This record gives sequence, C-alpha cells and structure tokens, in this order.
Amino acid sequence: MTQELSSLMDGELAGPDAERAIQACCASDDAKAKWHLYHVIGDAMRGHAPRTLARPETTLQAIGTQPTVLAPRRSSPVTFTRVALAAAASVATVGVVGWIGSQGGPGSAVPVSAKTNSGIQPASNTVIVREAAPDVQPYLNAHRQLPAPEQYRPTANNRAAASATR
Amino acid sequence: MTARAAAAAVALVACAVKAAPGEDPLAWLQRAAQAARSASYAGTFVHTNGDRTNTVRISHAVVGNDEHERIEPLDGPAYEIVRKNDEVYCYFPDAKTVRLDQRVTARFFPAVLSGSAPAVAASYDVKLGGTERVLGYECRWIRLEPRDAMRHGLSVCSEAGTGLVLRARTLNDKRQPIEHYTFTDLKIGAQAARPDMKSVFEARVKRWLTDSQPREETKATDTGWNVTNAPAGFFKVAELRRTLANREQPVSQLIFSDGVARLSVFVEPNKSPPRSAEASNEDGATSFFVRPMGESLVSVLGEVPLATAQQVARSVARRP
Repeated sequence: MTQELSSLMDGELAGPDAERAIQACCASDDAKAKWHLYHVIGDAMRGHAPRTLARPETTLQAIGTQPTVLAPRRSSPVTFTRVALAAAASVATVGVVGWIGSQGGPGSAVPVSAKTNSGIQPASNTVIVREAAPDVQPYLNAHRQLPAPEQYRPTANNRAAASATR
Repeated sequence: MTARAAAAAVALVACAVKAAPGEDPLAWLQRAAQAARSASYAGTFVHTNGDRTNTVRISHAVVGNDEHERIEPLDGPAYEIVRKNDEVYCYFPDAKTVRLDQRVTARFFPAVLSGSAPAVAASYDVKLGGTERVLGYECRWIRLEPRDAMRHGLSVCSEAGTGLVLRARTLNDKRQPIEHYTFTDLKIGAQAARPDMKSVFEARVKRWLTDSQPREETKATDTGWNVTNAPAGFFKVAELRRTLANREQPVSQLIFSDGVARLSVFVEPNKSPPRSAEASNEDGATSFFVRPMGESLVSVLGEVPLATAQQVARSVARRP
C-alpha cells in the first residue's frame, strides 16, 4: 500500500496501476492521511510552506520516525540538493549548499532540505554531506539563448581570427 | 475541436486576418503568435521571474519583406542584439566585439508562443478572458490552462487591433503568477519602430572585433543522446553542441517545447569536480534538475514544473 502510494506520488505508475492506486488511496482514511502527509513532506522539501496539517504533532513525529516513505526503492543513496539560480549574469551562484542524505542504502532515505529542517529531528541514520552548487547561469544563458558576455570577451583565438579576416 | 482548430489556423494563414477574430480563442491565440513577428512596435518591457527583474528595450519593424529587430537589456552588462531576418548580430561594447550569432534563434517577449494554435491546444485548454485597458490599448486576455501537471498555465493579454501581446503571466498549479512580462511603454506602428532599428553601440566603438565561431555551433547535430520519456506534448525542436563557459569540451543540448513552454537538456562529461548527487531548484517559472549518470552529467532547465524537469532528466539515454 505504502509502496503503491509512494510510486503514485513519484509518477512511476501509469494506466491501470495508477488507477488502482488512486482507488485504493481514496478508499481508506488511513491511505488518504498518508497521501496528505507525503505531500506535506514534499512541500517542505521543496521549501514551500506546508499545506495545513490536520494534526501537526503527529505529522512531525511521523516525519522523524518514518524516513522511508519518500524514496523507497532507490538503488543508490538518495541525495537532494537545493541550489539557487544565479540572481543575474553578474552575480555568482551561491557557493555551497547542504543536503541531508542517507547512508542506509536502498530504501531508507528521506532527503530533507536544511532550510526546512529546523524543529524536526531527522532520522538518526542521516548524515550531512556538502557538494558545491551547480553554476546554473551558463545553462540559463544557453537555454534562453542569451548571448553571454563572457563568451564574447576577445580571446587570443578570436583576436587572431579577427585580424586574419581584416 | 481539432478540426475547428485546424480550420481556424488554415483560415488565418490563408487570409492573414488582421481584424479582431470574434470569439474564437484559437484564432486569438494564432493572431497573438503572428503579431510578434508581423507587427511593428517599439517599447520597454519588464520581465520578472522569481526574485529577478530585468528591463529590456525592444524595437521591431517589418520593412518590405524584411524583419528587423533590436533588443537591448537595460540592466546588467551592456549589449544589444540586432536582427535582420535570421541574421543576428550581438554587440558587446565593453569587449568591442561583435558576432554574427545564429545561435540566437529564440524569440523573446512578446513572442511568447512558438507553436501553432492547434499544437498548443493539444496541451492547453485555451479560453478567452476579459477585456482590459493596458498602456492605453484595449487588450483581451487569452488563458492557456494546462491539461496536465507537466506544464505551467499562461495568460496573455492580446492587443485588440494588432493582436500583439502586451502582458504575459505564467501561473503555477495554484494559479499564482510566478513569472511576468509586461510592457511599461509601447508604441505600435511603423512610424514608432523604424527610427529605432540601428545599433546604438555600433558608432561608439571604432574597430569591432568580429568572430564567426558561433556559426559552427548552429549546425544541427546528432548528439547521440535521447529523451525516452518526454511528457506528452513536448517535442524536440533542436539538437546541437555548444560551448559553455569554463568547459573544455562542447556540451550537447537538446531543446524541447510544447509550443509554449521550453526546456533544455544538457549532457556533458561529469568532471571538474564530478557530482555524485541529484540536485534541483525552482525559481519563479524556471526549474533546474541535475543528475549524474555514470560518466556523464545531465542537466535539465526550463520554464516547467520541477516534476517535468525531473522526469526528463531521468529518462535521458544514449540513442540506440
């Protein structure tokens, strides 16, 4: 049941499987509560204000004690990083971000963003690992097809090319 | 619905209708998409996405059969893009460099729609909204409500006379605006636009360095990469290799679009330093998802919900 719900939320089910999971979810109050909880956790991870909690204390407790609900079937330790898109072309991206991942191997990870972590005790098997945030700006420029100034600084190569054409 | 949409599109292409297209939402949509290319206008617009705001000056004129356009961002480092049809020149006065850069095929606001109306209607429920007065022009709202959770909603305000989009708002699943484009001043008509077409920087620098390197990068290539599970409605519109800042080797880029939203898939060697973790972020309408995949690093960035970026990133594979 939990497995099915989690797969449904991850978008891994399709067609009849999804239909069955949805029906199962709607049929039981327990499943409905779980579904709601998964979304609350998902929101918190993405840094959004959580949806209204019917019984916050129970939910927070559940987050602390049930670290397997979100990513039950990963073959490798799940990791999750929040990065900031660079504020502007002239502003460098935030240097280092933290993420909390699991060392417990397959089936035991709850990634929780550090930002939303306050007040919630992470499961005891989590460790904090740091990895530099990707520099998003070059991708953003390439995606938007904005001509990036740094690509246009006259390098030795295109200086030579320029004088060759002159 | 589809037949009607197709009929509307054919009718519009055939007659190049300029008059307000009655109460047909798809006809309004088609005209709005067309107007960005066929109308003449000059103005300033503000783009707000997440925490970032940019102000851009744009002039656009059609003279004879030629399309001229000049775009100058007013914030950040000075540069301008001058387009004549498919020839795009980028002037960087600080570096005294000008490039004929055919990589810049993207259209910017007010060209917010790239697909045909029927293609857009496959992924969005298109509805007409109210009429409003914007910058002194009468303007009709067109609402694009996504048919699934894999894309954002979009509302555009289309000027009644020409169809030109004066405002555009991207909405999240709670219908809250997360990205905004709006003209803050605008003149429509050839009289207003034509004097504004020349590069303002060209005369300021005596000797421009020219560089033709980007020309090589525009060629469509088979990168060897493929997205096996793109969300419904998203189709590949371009595939190329391009140089990115601080990288020795070119990066493969695949661009997907559903006619409104666009996303880019980048694949490059996973090194310097190699990443071991998936990472993601959302800012305004833009989502970013990076995923290490063996010796390669996959990065997906687009104006789509994070779930879409994730689904695409996790279905990148070598082409068989």
